[in-house]
Amino acid sequence: MTASTIGTGPGAWFRHIGSTVAGLGQAYRAGLRDRPKRTVALSVLVAVLLLYPYVAHTWLAAFSRNVFPLPLPDDTVETFMTIFAIMAIGLNIVAGFAGLLDLGYVAFYAIGAYVAAFLASPHWATLGLNFIFLGNVDQGTPGVHLPFWIVVPVAVIVVATFGALLGAPTLRLRGDYLAIVTLGFGEIVPLVFKNLSQVTLSVVLGPLKISMDRVDLTGGVQGINPIDSPFLPFLNIKFDARAGFLPVYLGIFLLLIAVLVARNLEHSRIGRAWMAIREDETAAEMMGVNTVRTKLLAFALGASFAGIAGAYQASYLGATTSDFFDFSTSILVLIMIILGGIGNIWGVIMGAITLVFVNSTLLPYIGQQVQNYAPSLPNPAQYNFLILGVTLLLMMRFRPQGFLPSRQREAELTAHGLAHVEAEMGVPLDMDNTSVAPPGQSETGMDARAPETPDEARDL
Amino acid sequence: MTAQGNSAASAGQAVLPENLLTRSVDDAALLVKARGVTKAFGGLTAVNNVDFDIPRGSIVSLIGPNGAGKTTFFNMITGYYVATAGEITFDGQAIVTRKGNKIRSLKPHEVTALGIGRTFQNIRLFGTMSALDNVRVGLNVHLKSRWWDSVLRTPSMLREEQATIAESLALLELVDLKDRADTWARNLPYGDQRRLEIARALATRPKLLLLDEPTAGMNNSETREMTDFIRKLRSEIGLTVLLIEHDMRVVMGISDRVTVLDHGEVIAEGRPAEVRANPRVIEAYLGRGAAEAQAQG
Amino acid sequence: MDQLIQTLIIGLANGLIFALVALGYTLVYGIIELINFAHGDVFMIGSVISYGLIAPKSSGGLGIFEITSGTPAPLMVIQILAVLVITVGLTALLNVAIERVAYRPLRNAPKLAPLISAIGMSFVLQNIGLIFAGPNQRTIDNIFPTTNLLSYFGINSVQLTVSQVFVGVVTVPLLFALTWFVAKTRQGRAMRATAQDPATAGLMGVDVNRTIAITFLIGGALAGAAGVVQILYNNVTVWNLGFRFGLNSFTAAVLGGIGNLKGAVLGALILGQVNALSDRYLQANWTNALVFAVLIAILVFRPTGLLGQQLADRA
Repeated sequence: MTASTIGTGPGAWFRHIGSTVAGLGQAYRAGLRDRPKRTVALSVLVAVLLLYPYVAHTWLAAFSRNVFPLPLPDDTVETFMTIFAIMAIGLNIVAGFAGLLDLGYVAFYAIGAYVAAFLASPHWATLGLNFIFLGNVDQGTPGVHLPFWIVVPVAVIVVATFGALLGAPTLRLRGDYLAIVTLGFGEIVPLVFKNLSQVTLSVVLGPLKISMDRVDLTGGVQGINPIDSPFLPFLNIKFDARAGFLPVYLGIFLLLIAVLVARNLEHSRIGRAWMAIREDETAAEMMGVNTVRTKLLAFALGASFAGIAGAYQASYLGATTSDFFDFSTSILVLIMIILGGIGNIWGVIMGAITLVFVNSTLLPYIGQQVQNYAPSLPNPAQYNFLILGVTLLLMMRFRPQGFLPSRQREAELTAHGLAHVEAEMGVPLDMDNTSVAPPGQSETGMDARAPETPDEARDL
Repeated sequence: MTAQGNSAASAGQAVLPENLLTRSVDDAALLVKARGVTKAFGGLTAVNNVDFDIPRGSIVSLIGPNGAGKTTFFNMITGYYVATAGEITFDGQAIVTRKGNKIRSLKPHEVTALGIGRTFQNIRLFGTMSALDNVRVGLNVHLKSRWWDSVLRTPSMLREEQATIAESLALLELVDLKDRADTWARNLPYGDQRRLEIARALATRPKLLLLDEPTAGMNNSETREMTDFIRKLRSEIGLTVLLIEHDMRVVMGISDRVTVLDHGEVIAEGRPAEVRANPRVIEAYLGRGAAEAQAQG
Repeated sequence: MDQLIQTLIIGLANGLIFALVALGYTLVYGIIELINFAHGDVFMIGSVISYGLIAPKSSGGLGIFEITSGTPAPLMVIQILAVLVITVGLTALLNVAIERVAYRPLRNAPKLAPLISAIGMSFVLQNIGLIFAGPNQRTIDNIFPTTNLLSYFGINSVQLTVSQVFVGVVTVPLLFALTWFVAKTRQGRAMRATAQDPATAGLMGVDVNRTIAITFLIGGALAGAAGVVQILYNNVTVWNLGFRFGLNSFTAAVLGGIGNLKGAVLGALILGQVNALSDRYLQANWTNALVFAVLIAILVFRPTGLLGQQLADRA
């Protein structure tokens, strides 16, 4: 494809999408021809992952229950795999692409969940606020009820705004100072949700008078419930905990959107700017990258994924409390992306699936078997944190780049019709095995702030 | 490529005035005009009241012993440091200017957008990005597409990306690195990294190229290739070049004018031969520097 | 007014315990520029160990030095000293082991690696605490007389308890001893040199690995002492005590200027007061949010802290 084949306007856009989709088949055949083993293995993997929720729910679960117990993730666990995979993709944008270590990512997850709670629950009825718009509830139901399909975009916008707001004060900070400030935000946000259950205040701003007397804004310790489930009209499907494997597929749908958006961002001007900042912020700035804007975009866009995840989690469970959102969740998502391979979208998805599986299915399963057959042994579920901790220690020591590290971006070139570059190259494509440090971490480490004395900046 | 000497007046390049000294060239013929530029870090004055002109189309060198303030001066032109006092204009636009009692400086990325590209003394490439993507980052400043264009893959964004790749590959070809386009920058050999840095700087489409010790760590033939290449940039692309360099043979062979800094002040300025003969320079710098160059050679 | 003074006394006791832990953060950060996430958990392990030593067997302790309010004073002093020595020794060794296992192999790795390693170590220690102390809070009976010492001076409106004096008696000498050690001894000089520039210090004959190990030894010892003091003062411990307490102490270290010993103590004293005042006059459930808000404000507006940096010039 050459530049001249891309026209202008929406028609050209549709044509491009069409040719891209058509090109997928072609690319697949090419993959089958050039790297048959890899392509077949990947196809089987994707097929298994896509079919698994249905198969497991319909046959395997009964088999496991009645014939032989297996460590099979159930519908809820699978749904949470997709939720955490979406979050891992988002955190990967901030920490993996842009190299900004965020230890408070859970804050955005919480905000997303509470946005869903505020927009689709009877919560505001106590304030006399009743509003139903296309919601899947009977007319006259108290509270605010918007459909999930509106809640998610609103959550994305709200969370992205908070991402930028919380990111703004950290722009000058680097390395572990940034980590600590984000950690602080991650602690404050759930506390705010927990504590704003009896708000009394009266503010007068010109003509605007706000006065509250012990108003419950956030549901306090109990949180908010019930929250409306996602609902698909026409097909009449309610994606709640009783809907079997269907919520998993809604999760997969949201995950696919997340992957598409993240990949498109990665392979674009903004993605390159993020990586440049990750590699060397000063050099990036000198090469014309507006670092302030670019970092804020990383915070905002990265956070918005947690908005999707949070809104879906709250809608799926039908409830939210601030207890869901503590530091260990932030760390869990961080471990997912480190384990999977920070910087690589497929790696972090695998990291999320693996970790949710180990946490929610494998360890409880082993615990159950130990209880059944060797009750005197300690229950491994008690060693959850120990196992996580040791995993982190071993990873940092022996494979800091993760299991699927960020690969050479070969696909991009071919996608843009520049296969000749590849053909002309005298060197193989995967050069990244020679590197010791994972991407995002220059070997010299990160300094806390921009150098301010000539001494520090000597080598500039 | 044959060296054509300092008077190379090939296509598109204006003939340089005879006298290139600071304050003796018309403003219209100047690309950079710096007046009274000072930078103090706490008690230490790294650059003190420096006047400095760069005529269009010239290759100007800034030399001086270690710690003389050369890189600090560089960093003020590029907006990385905010000057303590003084004014700098570039192509008629203010980089450093005085507003009331406050000194204002453009941000580095704004300076880059105006048309100043640079390289670094210690190579600062984006290590785990391909050579091609390193160059593409340099082009970022000229791209129009926004993040939502990227998400939606709009036609304008795709066209822009294709143009970006084509331009970047052309630049890689210029520095002889086209066949390494997909190699991670940090896996390139040292000399390739130096040239890739220049390609990345050229991607910002600069009018002025700032080179901070481009031949550091190079052997004789590599150095010769680099000096030829710098001349080629001037003669073929019409770039103006400001050079910080320790290797006196490079400086003397390539420069239209040499300015010597010592302890943050200009102690001499003129044609290479004049500066070489200046007793103050010999005292402050050249005596030792030349001796070192001899020893290294 | 009396209420305020009372709150300040409580804040001072809090602050002194924070100071012991904050010093551990500041020492380690000063020397290897690592936020030692596991440090708060070393403190927790210290308090769990001392709980085990002090609590009677009937309530799940080892009952080795079973101290109750009925124990005669001289015996109590000896037992407390014994608990201190054992706990401090164990946590000091633990901290050295942590450095050896989790951080030293990553000395030349990218900076993110030791930070994540520290988080992993924190998880490991929390789980160890969970195994030994169980999922619930563990409490001991207050062993100190509850008489108000100020009543001997005719003041009854403000309380100063023996346990508060005990906090001061243990912590203040330790703080002075540490300052002396770093400022005046040969080993302290080696620490400062390593903090300035490990490579040069190594060339000058400083055994860098040993110096770093000693830094962790001291940090662990102080955390252990803080653990003992905290269990005897607050009479309670729990496996996840280290996280919040550690963050408070880290905030204190940053507030004072991380890398700066006096700054850490000053920051800890201020933070102790912030905690006490917020508990008393605001609402206890906002205290943590307030502490984090303070931390964020400092890092954003004055990243070098109140006293800047003395131990290390690099952060």
